[in-house]
Amino acid sequence: MRQRLRHILRLLLVFLVMNAIWYLIYLLLKHPILPSPGAVYRAMFALDCREVALNVGYSLLRITEGVALALVLGLLIGLLMGRSPFWNRVLDPVVYLTYPIPKIALLPVVMLFFGLGETSKVLMIMLILLFQIIISVRDGIKAIPESTYDVLTSIGAGSVQKFWNVTLPGALSVILSTIRISLGTAISVLFFTEIYGTEHGMGFFIMDAWLRLDYSEMYAGILLFSFVGFVLFLLVDLLDYKFMKWRKVD
Amino acid sequence: MSSLESNGLQIEDLQVSYSNGEPVLGKLNLSLPEFGIYTVLGPSGSGKSTLLRAIAGLLPGYGGKLLFNGRTVHDQHTLVGLVPQNYGLLPWKTVHDNIDIALKIARPGEADKAAREAQIERWLTAMGIAGLSGRYPLSLSGGQQQRVAIARAFAIQPAILLLDEPFSALDAMTREGLQRLFLAGWQEHPATALFVTHDVEEAILLGQRILVMPAGKAGTAEAPELLDNSAVFGMPYEDKRDSAEFMERSRTIRRMMQERWQ
Repeated sequence: MRQRLRHILRLLLVFLVMNAIWYLIYLLLKHPILPSPGAVYRAMFALDCREVALNVGYSLLRITEGVALALVLGLLIGLLMGRSPFWNRVLDPVVYLTYPIPKIALLPVVMLFFGLGETSKVLMIMLILLFQIIISVRDGIKAIPESTYDVLTSIGAGSVQKFWNVTLPGALSVILSTIRISLGTAISVLFFTEIYGTEHGMGFFIMDAWLRLDYSEMYAGILLFSFVGFVLFLLVDLLDYKFMKWRKVD
Repeated sequence: MSSLESNGLQIEDLQVSYSNGEPVLGKLNLSLPEFGIYTVLGPSGSGKSTLLRAIAGLLPGYGGKLLFNGRTVHDQHTLVGLVPQNYGLLPWKTVHDNIDIALKIARPGEADKAAREAQIERWLTAMGIAGLSGRYPLSLSGGQQQRVAIARAFAIQPAILLLDEPFSALDAMTREGLQRLFLAGWQEHPATALFVTHDVEEAILLGQRILVMPAGKAGTAEAPELLDNSAVFGMPYEDKRDSAEFMERSRTIRRMMQERWQ
């Protein structure tokens, strides 16, 4: 409990220091493109709650859908590659060749094929995450020693029982690490996708304020967007805390 | 015991090969009566662990027959418990859950939650680790982990119990404690147990019979030897080591090892 409190205090301290640096730069620049922290926080609290909730909600929904889709597909393909040498031989060259393609460059293609609506936004997030998840799941599964399955095999466990009791928990640590790393990228991509074809989402909110030259509101949007990312990070940490207790040796 | 010895584990022409056809084990013929502890001694590469892995169903491509009471070992009627050298515990499950999941898989639909809990409690207490129920394996010592592995193996009430050098990584004191616990556990649930060890003393202390594997690929040279050790087996554990029978058996096996393994 004390450790957690210390962690929160450290985070709070870093937040205050960052605001202090921001204020210093504001004092040095004295330019409308960088309002003071106070002005931005005032603008943020002056925002219509319903409007904020709607924009944050849209962004969260898109990112949740994209991450979920990437997780389901990535788990399936990674599992296939990790457990079956045949499928690994078939799919490895595909992943090897397609992994280096900068997925953000596919944005126009995805827009052409799937339009400017929700589908293209969710697909882009999925595409960005999918390959990293496939590779980490495959490697995570391969890293599980074969002997871990022996006792369950000897008592007649089926494939599904082995998956739930050995494969998934054994690879979960790597999966959570990948999600944590990929989330930053996913949020950046979300921003890009919310610039077009929508009137909702944090990306739209920030760009709209920028076009209106309302810099205080623009920075308030950036802060809110960052807060959304922070909450998602906390969520992954929570999952890590819940499912990775076994790694902490007393 | 003799009336029960008409049944048991029948190993007929058992052969295991690498994918390139090179034999690892074969051809092995053995008849091991039910409800006994068979310690398996043999030099490296004699196929001790391979024999256990084949019986455990981990080498499905073996040749020959493995029968228990007339039925193929790997059909649904014969439950096999395994205690590997590295304990084989799932690190992400607590001690309790490691046993619970084994019970759920080994005996599906047979026991309700209360019956499972009673079984877990019974074997954790028998192994002296009832207080570790909620702990994760990584927070336990090697000896404690091996106790959990043995508790799990007995808890599923297997017909065949396989132990692959389970105490080899443990210090002498811990090993002695676990040998006693294993024997006590077996008294409570006398399965047909195959106990692989490289330690002659351990083989004599624990085995009702001692299977001495020949050097090299089993079956390619000589047949394994099955020695009767019931004289030592019947003694209280603490008296075994100092007995004349133990010394005599130890001398016989060491002589046999010199003749056959060198």
